[in-house]
Amino acid sequence: MTVQTPPRARRRRSGRFAPYVYLAPAMTLFALFLALPIGYALYLSFRTVKVSGLGLGKGARTEVWAGFDNYARSLTDPDFIDSVIRVALYGLVLVPVMLGLALLFALLLDSKRTRGRGFSRVSIFLPYAVPAVIASLLWGFLYLPRVSPFYYVFDKIGWDAPDILSSQWVLFAIANIGLWGGVGFNMIVIYTALKAIPSELYEAARLDGATEVQIAWRIKIPVVTPSLILTFLFSMIATLQVFAEPMTLRPLTNTISSTWSPLMKVYRDAFTRDDIYSAAATSVIIALATFALSFGFLRLVQRRAFSQENS
Amino acid sequence: MRLHTGIRAAAIIAATTLLAAGCTSGDDTTSSSPTGGSTEKAEKVDLTFWTWAPGMDDVVKAWNDANPDIQVTVNKQDGGDPAVTKLLTAIKAGSGAPDLMQTEYQKIPTLVAADALADISGAVDSSIAGHFADGTWQSVTLGGDAVYGIPQDSGPMEFYYREDIFTKYKLDVPTTWAEYADVATKLHEADPKAYLGTFSATDAGWFTGLTQQAGASWWGINGDAWSVDIDSAASQKVASYWGDLVEKGVIDNKPMYTPEWNAALNDGTQAGWVSAIWAPGVLAGNAADTQGKWKMAPMPQWNAGDNATGNWGGSATSVTSQSKNVEAATKFATWMNTSQDAVNILVAKGGLYPADLPGQAEALSAPPAFFPNQPDFYTTATDIAKSVQPFTYGPNVNVAFSAYNDQFGKAAESKKASAFLTALTAMQKATVDDLLNSGFTVDE
Amino acid sequence: MTATLAPTKPPTVVRTTTGATGPSNKRSTLSTVVLLVGAAYCLLPVAWVLVASTKSAGELFTTFTFTPSTHLWDNVQDLSAYRGGLFWRWMANTALYAGVGALLSVIVSAMAGFGLAKFSFAGKKAIFNVILAGVLVPGVVLAIPQYLLLAQVGLTNTYWSVLLPSIISPYGIYLARIYAAASVPDDVLEAARTDGAGEARIFARIAVPMMVPGLVTVFLFQFVAIWNNYMLPYIMLGNDRLFPITVGLSGLLNQGASQPAMYTAVITGALLSIIPLIALFLLLQRYWQVDLAAGAVKA
Repeated sequence: MTVQTPPRARRRRSGRFAPYVYLAPAMTLFALFLALPIGYALYLSFRTVKVSGLGLGKGARTEVWAGFDNYARSLTDPDFIDSVIRVALYGLVLVPVMLGLALLFALLLDSKRTRGRGFSRVSIFLPYAVPAVIASLLWGFLYLPRVSPFYYVFDKIGWDAPDILSSQWVLFAIANIGLWGGVGFNMIVIYTALKAIPSELYEAARLDGATEVQIAWRIKIPVVTPSLILTFLFSMIATLQVFAEPMTLRPLTNTISSTWSPLMKVYRDAFTRDDIYSAAATSVIIALATFALSFGFLRLVQRRAFSQENS
Repeated sequence: MRLHTGIRAAAIIAATTLLAAGCTSGDDTTSSSPTGGSTEKAEKVDLTFWTWAPGMDDVVKAWNDANPDIQVTVNKQDGGDPAVTKLLTAIKAGSGAPDLMQTEYQKIPTLVAADALADISGAVDSSIAGHFADGTWQSVTLGGDAVYGIPQDSGPMEFYYREDIFTKYKLDVPTTWAEYADVATKLHEADPKAYLGTFSATDAGWFTGLTQQAGASWWGINGDAWSVDIDSAASQKVASYWGDLVEKGVIDNKPMYTPEWNAALNDGTQAGWVSAIWAPGVLAGNAADTQGKWKMAPMPQWNAGDNATGNWGGSATSVTSQSKNVEAATKFATWMNTSQDAVNILVAKGGLYPADLPGQAEALSAPPAFFPNQPDFYTTATDIAKSVQPFTYGPNVNVAFSAYNDQFGKAAESKKASAFLTALTAMQKATVDDLLNSGFTVDE
Repeated sequence: MTATLAPTKPPTVVRTTTGATGPSNKRSTLSTVVLLVGAAYCLLPVAWVLVASTKSAGELFTTFTFTPSTHLWDNVQDLSAYRGGLFWRWMANTALYAGVGALLSVIVSAMAGFGLAKFSFAGKKAIFNVILAGVLVPGVVLAIPQYLLLAQVGLTNTYWSVLLPSIISPYGIYLARIYAAASVPDDVLEAARTDGAGEARIFARIAVPMMVPGLVTVFLFQFVAIWNNYMLPYIMLGNDRLFPITVGLSGLLNQGASQPAMYTAVITGALLSIIPLIALFLLLQRYWQVDLAAGAVKA
């Protein structure tokens, strides 16, 4: 993609079109590979297939309008409602722990009093490089009592550890994989914000005798609050879309159903039941709910932490 | 499936731009020669074949070497359910499907219902039906005149056990399910860590085979209507039997095919496995060190003296409805599954139990390498294979199987025999609801 | 959803009245230990893959988890021999999808981010918000419609079918906008325009060099995103010679009931596939700065 160099005389006028030229590739790709498929999915969410007779042979299936049937079925499906509640719980467990640890690690990295910072920074960020499917496979091995080193140690010290994949604990097992993969990235985000704080700001406080904890609490954390809010927002969206971890762990246990998370239900409908229509309807519901939550959350925090940009 | 003109136009513009950028696309799925019939004999035909069975590269190589005019390319796929979705999506889109596809027997009605498979009855030799057992042949014809594939292998079920452990604890090989329960109890008492087997809620095909042995047939065709009989007396008998064993704790309740299960096969704490004829391959891969310690026996029976078994696994080779070379594809599929040369390779390299009856004798002359201690392995197996009970699959096996995973997962976790019956009822309901919702006529 | 956010001014320093002037550079054992525990937690599964990939198939399930063995080389050779070296082809494909895809994504995102940050024009806010809304739609849902649309133009089962949809990244555009706003001063652009430089020149010679650190982050971000994406290549590709590593390895794991899962191959493959990524991360270490919010101050 080349941007035409406008002749000097027309420079001012061309300035008006320049932003559109810059945006053209992104908008074209967006339209073709996101907007169009989304629109198509939206269309499919109002369709369904009807079968005649035994449904065998040519022409036995026809696609017809379904109105809001797919939506109504999704919203009244107890499996779907359960999955939403489950994922809400999952988010409540995962997001605060993940961001809390990310903040803690970032603060420790930022403190000159901590040793081994370079090594720790690399190590904690490392899991980000591991695809979720592979991460879940690795943790799966570490969760299964017979092949896990943890259970081996528990056994040796005579502690009867509960099965982490049993129904009471499986949520934590999945959240742990999310935590493992996500804490490093969020740590880097917060650490970047911390590094941007001019050091004079807290050197003065330090000279006045403020402790590291006081400096962190009163100066550093307020400054990184906008980053925290955005990491919270992105983590929330990722939580609602949790999929790869429970999906990969599922064959290892009885306790993860095929509709464990809302997106798994979408997957089951589209890929196991070959019902792309209700899968599309469910995903529209998920997208709208994500939108409402994100928007509501931003509204809530905007007054506190941000000033509205006027452009 | 047609899209709106606007959408298509936009997509075409995008594609043209991109192609103009000059990148070569990947291998085309199907041959470029659309000609059918006799003229194609002179031209070279390229066929693509989606499969996940082992040894396919070897058998295809043998074919390609002998048939320069019909070249087959193996594209190995993920063996899970999504492979079917992938094919169905390609069918909906009107392009992208391979010429040949490995089709598990239980998926054939679903694929036929989606018009994904070509009827090759016009391209096959009429004598071909004689190569297969009636039940096997019926699963590719669905009882009609059409032919939707050439059977490749089948999976008659047997009981596998660790001979050394049975000797150690002085256990007798169970011939009935009542004896199986006794042996399971004795073994678990003798070694509280050991189990004679596990109830696997992730393997719907396994449970289906068990109910098949007990006389169940989950679907049926009644004129123009489907019937669903998952929650039948026969299935209930099987469900409550296993539920009872799980509740007593003498049988494990964890899924098969996990690293945990592999470890148990290795250390002997899974001392038995109700499985199918292809088990030697799985055992060899998962617990190579136990070679020669296992033995195979007929399934325990519901009534002493009976002789019945079910099927777990097995698939056919089908030609898809998008193939432009149905005749060539059929020719290959027929050769692969009914010629002695190909069947020998399938057994030797793939460890399959061939569906082709005439080819069995030669191909199965030696026992599997993993069972050197049982020279008559295949002689016994061939007898057992004759006792597979009839069973009909319906057009929404995927729905029933996914309901099995969820419902029996809950039941196995609860360790309550009553929950196993509840699970069966829930499965029946989910399957019928899905059929009704799609507009099928269901005979209730 | 809007991301036109700007943080408030940093709060004024709270002066404490404690008299003691604490020694600020004293090492703290507690914080070191906490951080090292965190590092150990993150390294543990990686260490596990390392050890597990040295084991033969039998040892994997029979020996203690962290007892290393000597079969790493055998495992690598077995994996390399699998179907005529298909594994390495998957690695090369992954490098192509993630590398080229991320590079194109950076170019597209940088242009869009620059345009959004440095110009005011009709529909700017709407365009930005619409692009960001793309984050809300999960990829699992889009794979099938994307397939059906690409099939209309015959692009399924080609490199394009995976590459093209991977180029557009709402996150990338969001980040690029922030970096452009934060790192490219308006007066520099104005000066260049006064000197008669064309837009292409301004972008390529002035804006991009200033944005480089941020763009490297976008590259890493998108590289990992494409690397991680399983559903799109899974549904798009029928030809196993076009598969990326994730789809290929998952096929080795899901072999159907009558086949043992190839755990040793998958674990060795996982190890080999993580190594280049780790190398890339270490190489670009100094660019790890994901500034989600700060840049918006000047926007």
